[in-house]
Amino acid sequence: MQYQEKEIKKGIEFHELNTNKFKTNLVAVFLTTELTRENVTRNALISTILRRGSKNMPSQEEISKQMEEMYGASFDCGLDKIGDNQVLKFYMETINDDFIPQQKEKMLKTTLEKILEIVFNPYIENGEFKKEYVEQEKNTIKQRIEGKIDNKARYALNRCIEEMYKDEPYGLYKFGYVEDLDAINGKNLYEYYQELIKNCKIDILVSGILPNDIEKIIKENENIKNLQEREPKYVMPKLTTRNTEKENVVTESMEVTQGKLVLGLDIKLEEEKQKYDALLYNSILGGTANSKMFQNVREKAHLAYVASSSYIRQKSNIFINCGIEISNYEKALEIVKKQIDDMKKGDFTEEDIENAKKGIISTIDLIDDEQDTGITYYFGQELSNNKISPEEYKEIIQKVQKDDIVKIANSVSINTIYFLKD
Amino acid sequence: MQLIENLKVKEKVYKEKLENGLTVMIIPKPGMKKKYMIWGTHYGSLENEFVVPGEEKPTVVPNGVAHFLEHKMFEQENGTNSLDVLTALGVDANAYTTNDHTAYLFECTDNFYEAMDELMDYVQHPYFTDENVEKEKGIIGQEIRMYDDYPEWKVYLNAINAMYHECPVKIDIVGTIETISKIDKDILYKCYNTFYNPSNMVMVICGDFKPEEMLEEVKKRLIDKKANGEIKRIYPEEPETIVQEKIEQKLEVSQPLYTIGIKDTIQSNCNQNKSDLVKKHIAIEILLNLIMGRSSSLFQKLYKDGIIYAQPGLSYEFTNIYAHILIDGQSSNPDKVYEEFKKEVKNLKENGINEQDFERIRKMIYGGYVKEYNDVTDISRMFLADFFKGINSFDYLDEIESISKEYTEQVLKQVFREDKMVLSIVEK
Repeated sequence: MQYQEKEIKKGIEFHELNTNKFKTNLVAVFLTTELTRENVTRNALISTILRRGSKNMPSQEEISKQMEEMYGASFDCGLDKIGDNQVLKFYMETINDDFIPQQKEKMLKTTLEKILEIVFNPYIENGEFKKEYVEQEKNTIKQRIEGKIDNKARYALNRCIEEMYKDEPYGLYKFGYVEDLDAINGKNLYEYYQELIKNCKIDILVSGILPNDIEKIIKENENIKNLQEREPKYVMPKLTTRNTEKENVVTESMEVTQGKLVLGLDIKLEEEKQKYDALLYNSILGGTANSKMFQNVREKAHLAYVASSSYIRQKSNIFINCGIEISNYEKALEIVKKQIDDMKKGDFTEEDIENAKKGIISTIDLIDDEQDTGITYYFGQELSNNKISPEEYKEIIQKVQKDDIVKIANSVSINTIYFLKD
Repeated sequence: MQLIENLKVKEKVYKEKLENGLTVMIIPKPGMKKKYMIWGTHYGSLENEFVVPGEEKPTVVPNGVAHFLEHKMFEQENGTNSLDVLTALGVDANAYTTNDHTAYLFECTDNFYEAMDELMDYVQHPYFTDENVEKEKGIIGQEIRMYDDYPEWKVYLNAINAMYHECPVKIDIVGTIETISKIDKDILYKCYNTFYNPSNMVMVICGDFKPEEMLEEVKKRLIDKKANGEIKRIYPEEPETIVQEKIEQKLEVSQPLYTIGIKDTIQSNCNQNKSDLVKKHIAIEILLNLIMGRSSSLFQKLYKDGIIYAQPGLSYEFTNIYAHILIDGQSSNPDKVYEEFKKEVKNLKENGINEQDFERIRKMIYGGYVKEYNDVTDISRMFLADFFKGINSFDYLDEIESISKEYTEQVLKQVFREDKMVLSIVEK
């Protein structure tokens, strides 16, 4: 795969992922903006209202029919919280011309036109979003917000994050808040949309068999031409130095048969480079089937089926997840804490480190062979303070030493212990 | 090796049935670094009563054995656990159990042959002790509890229970705390020896390999085991009727979850040849999208009225002992969704399918099939799962052109019958 990044206009980046490994072309348009209490719900609503209609495809029905006509183009919208940013994600995937029976289409060009129209040229009536659409999407977002209780494990994780980041942007729920919805209407939402489009960071990522003039096609697209240069408003990650003095213990009750235990850990980093050390630390603690969590909580104590941890690079946090018998709370917590302590003592081997490295490197190798993994990687680099290629990434991982990991272990503190029980 | 080529997606499959009965499929993907290997046995949660080859009397085993066996296969006599060994190689290893098969797999970029050594070794060498079997009951117990908290799983299983009287598709794949308590090492060995015979298994390997060389690598790692005779699988007689039209359960969810099921007749599936089965599957996919897909007037109406918030899941599941359609999602008013769905089916039966809509949906489904050839993981799993149904995955690409509107209308009348429909709801 050949990767190139090109600036279309200030604040608008085009990422070209040229590869012939896939049957499809995948186009992604990401709008990145600061995560704030004021705008979180409006952004969520924008991400869904845009799929309701565009200038030339004024209804969802019309968009869907066109997508079906394009051999089942899949059009998806998503919403992400990455560090202190909210990212509105739009994807369109179509099959490559080589696999279209008639072979007369210029599918990639059509794909770009359609997705850019949907994102940047929405359906407007009397200078505002169509009332009917806004009301329906408010209802959809309301369901999404209220639906956070439906997946109990995810709910427990979200609640732990909320507790750790009270009154901070990262504690916000990415779909927003029901109480915000009443004040939103077609007019003020459209005004907000115009502000958003003027100021947000825009990334257009295209992966597939790309024509030589792809950059020109994008630059000359009417909807791109209409966009202005900008000093994009978004937040780069900082090396957080949070002080956790005391563990915050939160227990909540809900109708569950299994208890969901989540521990939120803070890592204190001194320099950017340590983020890679932290990645290895997490891998040994709970990232794989060889990890301390899996081996001790599951395989030795048989307390859980799920016992793992995940590392959030942008916020320097690790979240430990276990699904346990409610009565085993104390026992499980003790074992989990012991693993964190054992890491501090350096109670892991060179072999553990080598294995963790192999695992991480093999996921880096997949960037070339999985279309969405490639897109996620290069966009992730956009929100990172030091952009590196996959090759450089692998080299950095190779160089991490045991001392580096022990140093991370000793900067780790438990911020919040969250338990969801019946 | 037999070469099967598909010019539409420009892919090739090399297939060979070895002397011991094992089927091997190799799908070369030149230039890909990612590699995938999956080894499956035609044995899942449906097999609770069977006659071991060479025996006269049937054996009955507790529910959840196939899945329990999957967990225990990783344990080795030398004290190691194969999942740990594979993970240490930097490969992503896993296993899963479905209604009709169990599979062991890994994906990797490096260390393929080392991982292949380990996978082929552990699948061929079970090691069960009283102690290691007991230990697993705690872990699987928590897996069962985890599913108890998934409303999506409950609403699905209830729909199945509303459709089927006797068929073992009713049984939860993981079993229950009670049934797994009865599992011991003798039961596991008996099931292993019966179903993990090469003649009951298939292996799929996808990546940048030369097929002939890869086949030799497979042969080298096979232990000497003869094909055993036919395993007689005993299934209870399943009436054609449904059990009950409506089934409800209370759980703490924000909005009701629903599953609409349509029980299909299995007799027709058995008598059909496999290409008819593929055709029927495609026709059902087209119909489901015409009736309730994103561009359908029913979906648009329900969405606009705030009754549903997202495109419902649409699927057709089948093996040689059951077949049904499932439509699922979340709704403020599942009864209304069900009622409108039935109306739309009736409508379509009376007025026939619009030619333009038909062609457009067919194009969409064709594109969907092509997309399945993007990733070595998806390709391998598709070929494996289809093999156990007696289907070659390429058939979908070849048959789709031959599906006519008239044939699809015929399937609509045969399958979408009101007396075969059920509604399952999970709500507060």
